[in-house]
Amino acid sequence: MVQRELMAILEVFFFPGFLFLFSLAFFIEWFDRKLVAKFQNRYGPLYVGPKGILQPIADFLKLLSKEDITPAMADKVPFALIPLLMLTFSMTPLFCIPMTGSSALISFEGDLIVVMFIMTLTALLSFLGAWVSTNRFSTIGGVRTGLQMFGYEVPLNIVMIGPAIGAGSLSISGIVEWQSRGVWFIVTQILGFTVFSLCLLAHLQRVPFDIPEAETEIVAGWLVEFSGKKLALIRLAKNFELVLAASLMVSLYLGGPTGTLLPNPLTFLIKLVFCTFILSNLRALFARYRIDQFLAGAWKYLIPLALLQISLVEVSLW
Amino acid sequence: MVKAIDIPFGPQHPALEEPINFTFEVEEERVVDVKIRLGYIHRGIEKLAENRTYHQNVYLVERICGICSFAHTTCYTQAVEELLGVDIPERAKYIRTIFCEMERIQNHYLWLGFTAKAMGFETLFMYTWRDREAMLEVLEMISGKRVNYGMNTIGGVRRDITGKMVERMEERLNYLEERANYYKKVCTKERSILKRTVGVGMLEPSDALNLCAVGPTLRASGIPQDVRADEPYAAYGEIPFRVVTYDGCDVASRILVRIDEIIESVKMIRRALDGMPQGPIRVKVPKNVPKGEAVSLVEAPRGEDLHYLRSDGSDRPARLKVRAPTLANLPSLRKMLKGVNIADIPIVIAGIDPCLACMERVILVDTKSKKGRAWSGEELWRYANEWYRES
Repeated sequence: MVQRELMAILEVFFFPGFLFLFSLAFFIEWFDRKLVAKFQNRYGPLYVGPKGILQPIADFLKLLSKEDITPAMADKVPFALIPLLMLTFSMTPLFCIPMTGSSALISFEGDLIVVMFIMTLTALLSFLGAWVSTNRFSTIGGVRTGLQMFGYEVPLNIVMIGPAIGAGSLSISGIVEWQSRGVWFIVTQILGFTVFSLCLLAHLQRVPFDIPEAETEIVAGWLVEFSGKKLALIRLAKNFELVLAASLMVSLYLGGPTGTLLPNPLTFLIKLVFCTFILSNLRALFARYRIDQFLAGAWKYLIPLALLQISLVEVSLW
Repeated sequence: MVKAIDIPFGPQHPALEEPINFTFEVEEERVVDVKIRLGYIHRGIEKLAENRTYHQNVYLVERICGICSFAHTTCYTQAVEELLGVDIPERAKYIRTIFCEMERIQNHYLWLGFTAKAMGFETLFMYTWRDREAMLEVLEMISGKRVNYGMNTIGGVRRDITGKMVERMEERLNYLEERANYYKKVCTKERSILKRTVGVGMLEPSDALNLCAVGPTLRASGIPQDVRADEPYAAYGEIPFRVVTYDGCDVASRILVRIDEIIESVKMIRRALDGMPQGPIRVKVPKNVPKGEAVSLVEAPRGEDLHYLRSDGSDRPARLKVRAPTLANLPSLRKMLKGVNIADIPIVIAGIDPCLACMERVILVDTKSKKGRAWSGEELWRYANEWYRES
């Protein structure tokens, strides 16, 4: 009995719990930066650690030690809470992702809905963060975050339901397990996978959909007033969101940690890196869209495509 | 409905390389009005020029602009040569032409990257700046420097272009032309670029003329005006070339005008290298310049550059007046900015290729009587000291 509890604690804190997730977040950030640098004919991080692999950690520590300024007009309590909440909200869903086997640390029927809900909350939080920091640039950034959410959220959630219908389960672990017995959903729902990747780019606020934090337009958008520890936490939260996005792609469409001859965690990592590759690749290819163009595109193309995918899934089940 | 708010843009802003302040009055995401405020990096170059000899001033005007340094020196030396009544050797004229065009190529590559950055396309930014190095390498090979070449002097140029250099130049020019063609393809085909540039920052031809726009900004509104063709200087009268115009009147046309100018410049350099006569590259000139005044025009990469020079017969100019192209484009920039989306502000500003330090003006106005007045050097000095003591 004691042994089982010890195992549970180890799982939560080390593998696949906090420690693993933190290293994963930093690793994925490094991979993303290095890859985009390669695409752009640059070197990317070089000096800290072999091939600069420790650079994200160094950046994180550096930011932690920087001066932390709270604007005089800001709403102090929410302003201090938002970075923490963002980190929590972006980390929590990761516990619902099966990484070592077909079952996750936390799994219950309906955890997919919870993950969707929490992902929406992170977007709302960035709007709130912009609002309470009372800066003109961040207000515009916050409004853009909200508008962008109206664009991507509907198609994102529709296509996330696609695999759930296919597997007949609202649990991510259930979906992974179904795929380990049959085919991966990327084969049967390639359209859904495409829409999902695009919506995730918008959710992560990355080029070409980095509209809420467009550097050359509104400085840093909604996070312009966050500095020091708060910025460090937000950046870490963003890394977790990237990990979450990639691991959702893996779990919902690529069969999760199962399906190859390699050990499960390794399979998961390889697939995760592949999905990050897709997201980074898209990031290097485009110019930034304007918010009205994004919204028009989302409602004209993404939502109809997502609905088409769902209908196809329904028809195939029939 | 959001009430109109004022958004400060600059003097410090990631989209600006140099300090300038725009105050945008914004309703929702649309710009209703804009106020432009200059004067953050006034360097008093015109005054400095009065305290230096004509030869020393060549170095000073070279530093008016980091990017179009050669255009400014060409403009200045032409004015001095006109006053002196000196005709510079043919070969020097050709070398000046070649340098003017090489400068145009490197400037337009730089600008393309800058604009790409403004629209959030970092990959294009990195690529164009990498390719720009090819031009800088040639400039460094000939003159020894990458940006302030120190090539011009009163009476000609200081360094010659020799056979080996020509070979290397041709090789690099081929590369640059090939890349320019590639970027043209990218900028006309890539949908995310088109979405951000077509129909953005409109400047109707009539407005462009009324507001005295110059250079690529004017030519992108379909008006074929170019100092090189209208009032040929250096060897431009002998080298045939096409004045590039596009009639889209938007940022997309400004991009295409500049890319086409790169391609045209490459061709011009080739023609100039072929037709370059042998002979000396400079003539000796006297130190003192006869009394008189002269105006010189040069087509800088950003547009028409004007230098006015008055001499009182000594070895120092009595007055040097510089009108850099960006200043001429500011009124039309204001016109372009009205009605654009906030998201489009950086690209529209980038579209005129602003170079602020070159055109900086300061006027001190008494806010009560609304009258401007000139300050003496001593007053300025005292004011600066007091200001620093207070802050």
